[in-house]
Amino acid sequence: VTDRRTQGTLLLAVGGMALFLGRSALTLSYVRAFVQPLLLASGAVLVALGVAAVAAPGTRLAPSTRFDPAARPGAAAGRQPAAAGEAHTGGSRIAWLLVLPLLVLVLVGPPPLGSYAAGRRAPVSAGATGGSMPPLEQPVNGAVPMELSEFYFRAVFDERHSLDGVRVRLIGFASPSHDGGYLLARFAMFCCAADAQVVEVAVKGDPVRRSADQWLSIEGHLRASLARGDGQEVDPGDATPDLIADSVTPIQPPRDRYEHTLFGY
Amino acid sequence: VEPLGPAPETGAPSTPAATASVERAPGRPRADGRLLLLLLVIAIGAHGLVSGALSGPALETWSTIFVSISIQALPFLVLGVLVSGAIAALVPPSLLARALPRQPLVAVPAAGLAGAALPGCECASVPIAARLAAGGVAPAAALTFMLAAPAINPVVLVATAVAFPGRPQMVVGRFLGSLLASVVVGLLWTRVGRGLPIAGSRRPAPAGLGRWESFSHTARHDFLEAGGWLVVGAMAAATLQVAVPRGVLDQVAHDHLLAVVALGLLAVVLAICSEADAFVAASLQQFSLSARLVFLVVGPAVDVKLIAMQAGMFGRRFALRFPALTFVVAVGSALLVGRWLL
Repeated sequence: VTDRRTQGTLLLAVGGMALFLGRSALTLSYVRAFVQPLLLASGAVLVALGVAAVAAPGTRLAPSTRFDPAARPGAAAGRQPAAAGEAHTGGSRIAWLLVLPLLVLVLVGPPPLGSYAAGRRAPVSAGATGGSMPPLEQPVNGAVPMELSEFYFRAVFDERHSLDGVRVRLIGFASPSHDGGYLLARFAMFCCAADAQVVEVAVKGDPVRRSADQWLSIEGHLRASLARGDGQEVDPGDATPDLIADSVTPIQPPRDRYEHTLFGY
Repeated sequence: VEPLGPAPETGAPSTPAATASVERAPGRPRADGRLLLLLLVIAIGAHGLVSGALSGPALETWSTIFVSISIQALPFLVLGVLVSGAIAALVPPSLLARALPRQPLVAVPAAGLAGAALPGCECASVPIAARLAAGGVAPAAALTFMLAAPAINPVVLVATAVAFPGRPQMVVGRFLGSLLASVVVGLLWTRVGRGLPIAGSRRPAPAGLGRWESFSHTARHDFLEAGGWLVVGAMAAATLQVAVPRGVLDQVAHDHLLAVVALGLLAVVLAICSEADAFVAASLQQFSLSARLVFLVVGPAVDVKLIAMQAGMFGRRFALRFPALTFVVAVGSALLVGRWLL
């Protein structure tokens, strides 16, 4: 990528992708919503730089006047000419990789993280219990709706056992567990999918086999609180709360597949 | 008829004189643009054909993580090249060299503290540091700035405070640990490092350009080069994230030394943006606070995505030595600060 017009084209391609992603709901599969305005702004900058590079007149100077290392002794000191040449061609070729995210988006159309990733990634795990949680919301149609991560942290951390005897409604996707049953799982994302943490709850009492990645709305209650209240750590191996299900409904995936509030923020 | 092949390879210069030219001989240029268009057309056309073959869950997960890291880093990279373009266009090198004290013992900590002013993540600071060094700033000071900026800026510190409510010592620990690590690395580099090799397009913009041209020239070159290497880093991070099996971490959590090394390496492997890593650290509840501080101090300074970008900007030899040095110093600083504070 050495001539100005090609560089400009590449910038236009990446900038165009950023502008598209800044507006598309698809983007929520990969990053959190607050990144979208940033994508719009950076896309506009890249498109401007690209247009300037493609359209600018009089772009060609004689090669010998381009860069004269001798004119900048500070910048060129201690550099082997051969090494610099190597680095330069490397830099030229490497810019082509910028089309790769665009190609992957178009060719693979990566879905939001699902049960495969959940099975590969260490789940959020419990540590020392403690801390009080805000009061529960009011029930709607006989169950308290809450995010999976809120349920998880109430079950594991809340010394006041606020979930005892409470009927809740949870949304997540099915993720097969080792004992033949399934977990209700959902990813909590802070910034992008690379930092998403999986939150999991073991579903008990559902006789139906659910296929992996099927989105479900489940009403039920916590079997037993895991918060010990003595400030001791819960063994991470025992830290998956059990949800006793009494109503399981397959649903369409929500618009944003991720949750964004782990630990209540 | 000119070939539609990969022009950049065939056009590789062989002499220093040719190296010094940014643009190729006339007649070559259009091929690159056409190749790009052709690739896009093929990609869109082939979508229906290959989407079945490319739908394995491992590949999908890899793709999701790869695309996520690339997209998320893009705005910060653009911020970085805007700053580096502005430095090239508006700040004469002589001023830059004079602005910082000559004595490394003063200049390096000053550069570290200056990092607090750049509210970006680590992708932004690599091109800026390269531009500072190209503009005549002492390499040690530029490197210290590069390490400090993504770790101790206000956005990152606020994110850390939010992720660790009621534990302000994590914020203080992160600030002190990262500042200490970046200053120590800078000072050590003045002794063991051999300057800072400045790779090809990191040279100053051609003389005789107007301000706008100098700005857009620098920003364009820096974006293309740093962006290309960022993509390499994103691929590496996605591969490692898919390949590292679940449960590995739990097994080492209770051995202090193993836990520290494991979380340090995890920070390198995950390559999470410094503005999000505090939340991941907060969720690693099975680990001690000081092990998690190691994660927070190492992450913005050394990770696979940064190593790739540094290899592109400063050369392969640099990318072998510098991250290793930084890793050791960062772990040491975090443990020291952690022992005192946590």
